[in-house]
Amino acid sequence: MARKIVDLITSLKLTIVCLAAGMALILAGTLAQVHLGIHEAQQRYFQSWLVWWPAEGNGFRIPIFPGGHLIGAILLINLIAAHAKRFRWTWRKLGIHLTHAGLIIMLAGGLFTDLFAVESHMRLSRGDTRNYSEDQRHMELAVIDTTDNDLDQVTGIPESVLKTNRTINHWSLPFRIVVRNFYQNASLKISNEGSLRPIANQGPGAMIAVQPLAPTTAQDERDVPAAAIEILPKDGGSLGTWLVSDALGAPQTLSCGGRTWMLAMRTARYYKPYSVTLQKFTHEKYAGTEIPKNFASKVTLIDPERNVSRDVLIYMNHPLRYRGETFYQAGFQQDDSATILQVVHNPSFLAPYVACVIVAAGLLVQFGFHLVGFARQKRIVVT
Amino acid sequence: MRRILFCLTSVALLAACNKNSEIKVYRVSKAPLEETGPEQQTAMPANAPSPSMPGGMGPVATNPSVPVPANWQPQPLSQMRQASFLVKGDNGAVADISFVSLGASAGNVLENVNRWLSQIGQPAIDDPRLNQMAQRLTTSIGEVTIVDLAGLPNGADPAKDGRIIAGMTSSNGSTLFFKIRGNATLTESQKGDFIKWVAAVCNAQGGNKSPQIASTMPSAENSLNPQIKWQMPPGWNEVPPSAMRYASFSAGVNDNKVDISVVTFPGEGGNDADNVNRWRQQISLPPMSPAAVASQIAPLKTDDTTFSTVDIVGANARTLAAWARRDGHVWFFKATGPGAAVEKEKPNFVKFVQSIRF
Repeated sequence: MARKIVDLITSLKLTIVCLAAGMALILAGTLAQVHLGIHEAQQRYFQSWLVWWPAEGNGFRIPIFPGGHLIGAILLINLIAAHAKRFRWTWRKLGIHLTHAGLIIMLAGGLFTDLFAVESHMRLSRGDTRNYSEDQRHMELAVIDTTDNDLDQVTGIPESVLKTNRTINHWSLPFRIVVRNFYQNASLKISNEGSLRPIANQGPGAMIAVQPLAPTTAQDERDVPAAAIEILPKDGGSLGTWLVSDALGAPQTLSCGGRTWMLAMRTARYYKPYSVTLQKFTHEKYAGTEIPKNFASKVTLIDPERNVSRDVLIYMNHPLRYRGETFYQAGFQQDDSATILQVVHNPSFLAPYVACVIVAAGLLVQFGFHLVGFARQKRIVVT
Repeated sequence: MRRILFCLTSVALLAACNKNSEIKVYRVSKAPLEETGPEQQTAMPANAPSPSMPGGMGPVATNPSVPVPANWQPQPLSQMRQASFLVKGDNGAVADISFVSLGASAGNVLENVNRWLSQIGQPAIDDPRLNQMAQRLTTSIGEVTIVDLAGLPNGADPAKDGRIIAGMTSSNGSTLFFKIRGNATLTESQKGDFIKWVAAVCNAQGGNKSPQIASTMPSAENSLNPQIKWQMPPGWNEVPPSAMRYASFSAGVNDNKVDISVVTFPGEGGNDADNVNRWRQQISLPPMSPAAVASQIAPLKTDDTTFSTVDIVGANARTLAAWARRDGHVWFFKATGPGAAVEKEKPNFVKFVQSIRF
């Protein structure tokens, strides 16, 4: 039995099946972008272990196809296992070994990137300073203890936790959060008698009705999640039900355990030990046209820990790399009043470069051996 | 076999990773960053741990760059209100003024106008009607849509209700609501100050560009807008027009003061029955049927045109109104005040209307 499993894992047939499944998945995922948008299609087809039908809901769901993670992982296992089983060191097989090593690094790098890379954005108007970037695709419920005069303690609860957990009981909070309702996308309306009723009874949410909306699929739009959460102090009682949504605008304040807390649903933030200030944003166009020629952001980077204070020019293909993060010039506000920098933290960003070099070296060695061997044979025949 | 098991275990561990599903706890400084730019001085510190109001909105009640009329009494701010005032008039009349900022998904203008209409017991309207009645105030953060709604819900106290003047705009991912609601006459008297305040609040958020009324609003200085001429009767004083008015005058003093206004809008400016009923409600009179309104309207012929006029007498106030439609605009001339004072000024008002030259 074990031998059969090993034979299956190391078989070339499995490689072919995975590659074929990968091609089918890419076709299906690409077509799905028409209706789902690129982000949702990526999530459902490529950044998942299984493709489900129906895609969402709490009812009966069945997996209909392996997702990108599963196909990639099986390919990686298959490649490593086959190599481990058949590995025999000879100089003549150096090219094959190098090529396989390069492919393994590339696949592993892809998986690592998908699992560990974080993409976010930093929007800066001229003169703005930020020490955090924001992920526009993911929201968080920030529960902030504002009691201290100098420091705020922030408990960031991701949207995915709100969506899946009915009760959130965290050590940093003196209360439990019970999620009464969660809406992936919603619009808020000031409640009228006889129409939609509020789902909260505390704060401004007590005057606001929530209209659920279908998740947006447009690339330039994002969902506006909303939730009704009940605050239950751990020593008993209830502080009522609160509506949280970034459409509310301002954070809400409550008191519990002798401390002051603020609730805010907002885009997920990634704080940094340094700050970036926009000094100037340049948007050059070709003379007499509206065709963009160059976008550039002149920023000042200040890192008190490392005693760094320097000006940096970020423009197309010339990102700022600092402390494992890369700042790309990604966009700008329509009236050029603000720049938008894409901030990428990818611990395995070198993997594709290293993999390509190793694969190229392996192919050169392999074909080199064949070429030399062929040339020798020809010389012998001629002689 | 061991090597293969190692591979499977490694991949399974990787699969367990999910970067977006962990609750994070961190501490952030409340102090502003050193390099905060001059444009951000009114906003919250850039490293503030809590989200600033969209567009840098903060409580405006105490913002010194936003002048507030002396008779507006600041009220405690609720979590929803960024500014709150109460203004008091005669005979217990009050009006409540508020500024609320919500996020981007706070409904469109029509939905909110219909919500306000339902608050004063009025039926909902549609987009064409909204376009007729809405006016736009240009500020440095964009255009504010202003609506003026009248109506008294069943059982409501006319001293505290009967009129809503509201403004709404979207800026930097937030929706801003400005509203004054209260006694019809008092709200009318505060209209100019209210609109100036709306412009000041918006301009304080978006820079210091001076407010201007959009091209749909008349301005005596704007040569693109229609111009009219008149002769001011003796005893009248011209006062600075509010943002909504083409011109303003006052006659009389103290309790016998009459407010005379000249207002113009592009288009038809609504039908006569709606307008007359709005003026009736402003002085706490019930609405009339269109036929009854038509019977009250009298023509006033001048050398230039023929005006429609109406004389509305309420228990405590009286309104004289004349209006005419010329060259795609409607012009309203209105005198409102205590009954006896309006009666005294009626000949002057008629002379004033007769002197109008388009």
